[in-house]
Amino acid sequence: MTVDNKIRVLVSKIGLDGHDKGAMLIASILRDAGMEVIYTGLRRTPTQCVNTALQEDVDVIGLSILSGSHLTLVLKVIELMKAKGVDDKKLIVGGVIPDEDIPKLKDMGVDAVFTQSSTYLEMIDYIKKATGKEDAST
Amino acid sequence: MSVSPGEYPFVAGRHAIPAIAALWGRGKVYGAGKVIKQGFGYSGCGTVEDLRDFYLGEGAGLTMRGPNLAFDLPTQIGLDSDDPRSEGEVGKVGVCMDSLKDFETLYEIFQGDRDLDKISSNWTINGTTNLILAMYIALAEKRNIPISSLKGTPQNDILKEFVARGTQMFPVDASMRMTRDTITFCTEYMPKMNTISISGFHMREAGATRVQAIAFTFANAIAYFQTAIDAGLDVDQFAGRTTFLNFGGGMELLKEAAARRAARKVWAKIMRDRLNSKKPKNWIYKETGGALAGYWTCTKQRPLNNWMRVGLGAAFSALIGDPPALVPPFDEPLGLGHSPEADQLSADAARIIMEECKLSDVQDVFAGSYYIESLTSRYEKEIFDLIDRIDEMGGATKVAENGWMKKEIARSAFEFEKKMETGENIRVGINKYTEADEIEIIPKLTSMYHSIDTAKAEQKQLDKLKKLKQERDNKKVQSCLEKIENAARDDKVNLIPFFVEAVKEYTTMGEICNTLKKVFGDAMDN
Repeated sequence: MTVDNKIRVLVSKIGLDGHDKGAMLIASILRDAGMEVIYTGLRRTPTQCVNTALQEDVDVIGLSILSGSHLTLVLKVIELMKAKGVDDKKLIVGGVIPDEDIPKLKDMGVDAVFTQSSTYLEMIDYIKKATGKEDAST
Repeated sequence: MSVSPGEYPFVAGRHAIPAIAALWGRGKVYGAGKVIKQGFGYSGCGTVEDLRDFYLGEGAGLTMRGPNLAFDLPTQIGLDSDDPRSEGEVGKVGVCMDSLKDFETLYEIFQGDRDLDKISSNWTINGTTNLILAMYIALAEKRNIPISSLKGTPQNDILKEFVARGTQMFPVDASMRMTRDTITFCTEYMPKMNTISISGFHMREAGATRVQAIAFTFANAIAYFQTAIDAGLDVDQFAGRTTFLNFGGGMELLKEAAARRAARKVWAKIMRDRLNSKKPKNWIYKETGGALAGYWTCTKQRPLNNWMRVGLGAAFSALIGDPPALVPPFDEPLGLGHSPEADQLSADAARIIMEECKLSDVQDVFAGSYYIESLTSRYEKEIFDLIDRIDEMGGATKVAENGWMKKEIARSAFEFEKKMETGENIRVGINKYTEADEIEIIPKLTSMYHSIDTAKAEQKQLDKLKKLKQERDNKKVQSCLEKIENAARDDKVNLIPFFVEAVKEYTTMGEICNTLKKVFGDAMDN
């Protein structure tokens, strides 16, 4: 198995929310599962996030938002992904997302939403299936 | 070594009878049984007009003794609402405050017998603390109220922002200069104003172990205190106006209780032996209390279980002589903001603990217990060892800025989660007891802020800000900003008087902070 077949994931904190425990944990857990993870750090703009996704040629973009600004910010990311022609990448949102907002996010084009109810195994499984790639550790 | 309350090293706290028991139910001021219904009143969202009207109506009880304000993220980070980075964030996690105009509007409801010299304001604000203080001073001066009578508490704990909460704006040295300015200015001119509320809670929530949370908090506290001492103050001049928020918590409540007792000992020793405080009163670790069970322990699944978790934490709080504050309400993980129903249950549980169970009749029920005392001693040693390690690395300012504390906490968080995976750590309804025969229970809840339309807040705020920038004297604003820039270049200068002058001309928070960033640099991307 070549390194090229590793699943590449961008984990990003967009907006001004400084709570990064979830984002850093997910990054560690996906790495532990054999994926290549790029973590952007705090307080990135949607433009910075999409540019990094493009440069790093990731398969998946994971956004973590806990400030309630998810509807506005995610829409911006999706618009930018389309404008830059990278809307083929899987887009995942996590954080404090009220249940009633999940369908709204999916209608916008988000592929999956994971909240506190989700387990890591669900997330890892989803990413493997959605990207159609096996991780390098298998 | 004494384990009696009121005796050094204060492992059992200060009083023979818990302060909470003495204060509970005493008339209007200390009517804890009623007051606790409103929690600590921590609230805020939308525009100041929205929040003012909310406080006049359904939220009236929240401001009985003054407001306890949550600010939105742009306000916390010193960005104006019209900054592109603020888009989507205005009025979300708190109220939006761009200028003194907003401050004046919100404080319209605090006049007469609730004027600024009669209430106490609490602001969950860190990086922009001195700007909020400047607005409070400006408003008091406009109302002819002596600033020496102003009471309040800003959080102002910037080091833990670098580590766990993420609203740092300036590099650490400039940030510590801001803290120095708060302490020296308030000590001289506002002796009733608390200057800082130092917290381990956010670090614990981010995944710190209980020993890390306490050691990092005290290492941060030592850095703040040393900064004020280096500025020429005696520790006993300002220590009385510093408080601790709390250390956060976890579900292993016997260990949490022991850790709190250890923390009291450690702080007494630091104050007496390291910072040379001469007043025993200042050796006593003062904590708002509660949160013994943590927020991070609460689950979205079967959320009413959180009432049990936090209720047990509150009971253990009472058993070590702390207030049985039930925080968070059980619906914390369901979204942003708490429901009145969850607040009611939190208040009732505290009342049951106090008035039915009478758990606060004794200050420290664990004193002398072999298990708790040995655990207390073990934690004391571990906390001191970790503080020593931080000293060897150059102190808290160093390890907050270079990311060491953050990395240590992230590692602890990861280790905890791995143990959740293996089942070594249990969370009921998450990694155990999740079979099909267990049922989900979703209570019916209403929204605390149902009168406030936060979706409209951003546009309203942008319109107000545009109007403000047209109507004020922009020449004066520019002149104030130039003075701030010059003053910022001289490290010895206290910037607060310059902020007061600037906010009076309706210079915005963002304008002042952007000016400071020209001199200090920007920590936005840290």
